[in-house]
Amino acid sequence: MTTRRLPVYILLDTSGSMRGEPIHAVNVGMQSMLSALRQDPYALESVHLSVITFDIEAKELFPLTPLEQVRLPEIAVPGSGATFLGAALELLIDRVDRDVILGSPDRKGDWRPLLFIMTDGSPSDLQCYREMIAKVKQRHFGNIVACAAGQKAKEALLKELTPTVVSLDTTDIASFAQFFKWVSASVATGSSSAGVASPTSLPPPPPEVQVVI
Amino acid sequence: MANIIKLQTVEGQPIEIVDEIIGSGGMKDVYFSPDKSYVVGFFREEQDAQTKDRLLMITGRYRQSLFENAGGDYWKNLFCWPSAVVEFNGRIGVVAPTYQRHFFFEFGSRNDDFLGIKGREKEGKWFASANNQNRFLDPRERGDWRKYLKICILIARAVKRMHAAGLAHSDLSYKNVLVDPTDGRACIIDIDGLVVPGKYPPDVVGTPDFIAPEVVMTCHLGKEDPKRKLPSIATDRHALAVLIYMYLFYRHPLRGDKVHDADPQIDETLSMGEKALFVEHPSDTSNRIRAKNIKPSELPWKDTAKIPYTVSGPYLTPLFDRAFMQGLHKPSERPTADEWENALVKTVDLIQPCQNPNCSQAWYVFDNTTAPRCPFCETPYRGSLPVLNLYSARREGQFTPDNHRLMVYTNQSLFPWHVNRNIFPNERLAPELRKRVGYFVWHNEAWWLVNENLPELTEISGETKHPIPIGMAAPLMDGGTLLFSPQEGGRLAVIQMVEGH
Repeated sequence: MTTRRLPVYILLDTSGSMRGEPIHAVNVGMQSMLSALRQDPYALESVHLSVITFDIEAKELFPLTPLEQVRLPEIAVPGSGATFLGAALELLIDRVDRDVILGSPDRKGDWRPLLFIMTDGSPSDLQCYREMIAKVKQRHFGNIVACAAGQKAKEALLKELTPTVVSLDTTDIASFAQFFKWVSASVATGSSSAGVASPTSLPPPPPEVQVVI
Repeated sequence: MANIIKLQTVEGQPIEIVDEIIGSGGMKDVYFSPDKSYVVGFFREEQDAQTKDRLLMITGRYRQSLFENAGGDYWKNLFCWPSAVVEFNGRIGVVAPTYQRHFFFEFGSRNDDFLGIKGREKEGKWFASANNQNRFLDPRERGDWRKYLKICILIARAVKRMHAAGLAHSDLSYKNVLVDPTDGRACIIDIDGLVVPGKYPPDVVGTPDFIAPEVVMTCHLGKEDPKRKLPSIATDRHALAVLIYMYLFYRHPLRGDKVHDADPQIDETLSMGEKALFVEHPSDTSNRIRAKNIKPSELPWKDTAKIPYTVSGPYLTPLFDRAFMQGLHKPSERPTADEWENALVKTVDLIQPCQNPNCSQAWYVFDNTTAPRCPFCETPYRGSLPVLNLYSARREGQFTPDNHRLMVYTNQSLFPWHVNRNIFPNERLAPELRKRVGYFVWHNEAWWLVNENLPELTEISGETKHPIPIGMAAPLMDGGTLLFSPQEGGRLAVIQMVEGH
């Protein structure tokens, strides 16, 4: 049997404002998220991870890769630059269409992909961003979670993409650590007990993160 | 350093917790006591009065009936049973013992623990997966097939005990059963979801992979809908069968390659629910695991032609048939935990050590219908092997077959439960009946049964009866007959010699 893959896409803001402590915190957070996922026997069997960064352009840091084979490169921030989140979504859609296996009479398809987006600002390519939202919605993601990090992040714009927006007051190591911990817990819920009332609910966010209602 | 919070249980006992979450499950956040001898799991959401009432019953009356009766200590190793309920800041918490030390990885993963799992809980999923076994686990953590049989016996016995008390676990899964294959141990955890049929309804539907088809099929209905099926003793039986299958074969009995829908979520619901089909169904082969979809690290386990479930032998095979064919969609046909325990215990009498010293499984069920060989590493059995077919007297002098065989190997023990059919090895067995009464040995080109504690062992040949006193040995010869005991329920063994290659 092909064990169903769980594709997980992480979109990370690497615009100029992430320079310094914020990007350092993201690197640390990603590293510990990866270790945590590797300690989960369910995630090890199913999770495939891809990371896309976006600043003045969108870049695929690495394509969909089995968890055990992921080697996380240091994520750097260019000199300065805009926040092309729309371009990132465009690249994401291209990759999802290319890489996610759909079920066919002959083969079990992948689980619906999960998408996590972290940004500390707002999309510079707003028109493209809004066009892409419609296309993202056609891709049937299992879950989309956006994280608005720091004071300048625009929650309202993110809410056009997904109702699940978590906001971090600061962009330091402690708050990112909590966020990535939550991401790995969400990814791993596939193997834990499902409640009678809400079988697909996410684990509750950690105390430092507030869910915008 | 986190703060220590002093609390009181509902019963007024003082407890303490360190104010730092050590883990989070589907419903609870867990905290250690300062000395780490117990943990407290707080429900994140507010619980209704009924839940509190149920938790008090679990930590009170049910706990007492299990642990405070004769033989209660036996269960302390098999259940991590909650001991008290606490209330703090409007939230309900459950106090439970910390898991025993052998349920934490000593070596963890390969290559000097490259995954960093040393010291973490031995969650069953690490072991119930061919890929995890072959690629990640340190070989010293893996155990062998006899250890997994033992683990299955303990799980079946624990579930039997709960069911005997009228309780359903409701969320049996490899998440909620810790296993230690290095020593053949198992412990059921997360007991606070216990369901008392007709009294306390369940609050979970179970864990994917283990949810019974009728529950999956009716998940979309409201909780109060009369057609909705919720976890019960019958669904525990499904989960138990899946657990046993997964620990013996490292694959899932229903996860084959049949696709029911292009949408993965709908496909999942159908293949675990309405359309659930055994991957090894003898006539409907549409859900077979296809060879081309198997990863090398999943071999040989996912190759059901190479290791079919029938390698588990004549006692377990019919139970798997009932669990995954007749009873899959008909809960009343599913084998009970008691039946599993019996069949597993009898299967232990059929296993042989593999003659290949490097065989990863080391033990297998000896099958004398074909050329006997280890199904896991394919090493053939060489030499002669005595099979003892056991009979017992239902009426004076008339022996009828017990459908129970004993495959002999060197240094194998003969126990009181082989000698008398009224003795069954379980938690209630008296200490004096747990000791062996004889053993088998291959010596000077012949097989012998050495009598250590069978006062009335008799070799019978036609009309002649030849007593074998304690301290002496009886030869095992093809067609020979040994009377272990003339007492009520005492057994007669007819010896059959099987020749290997």
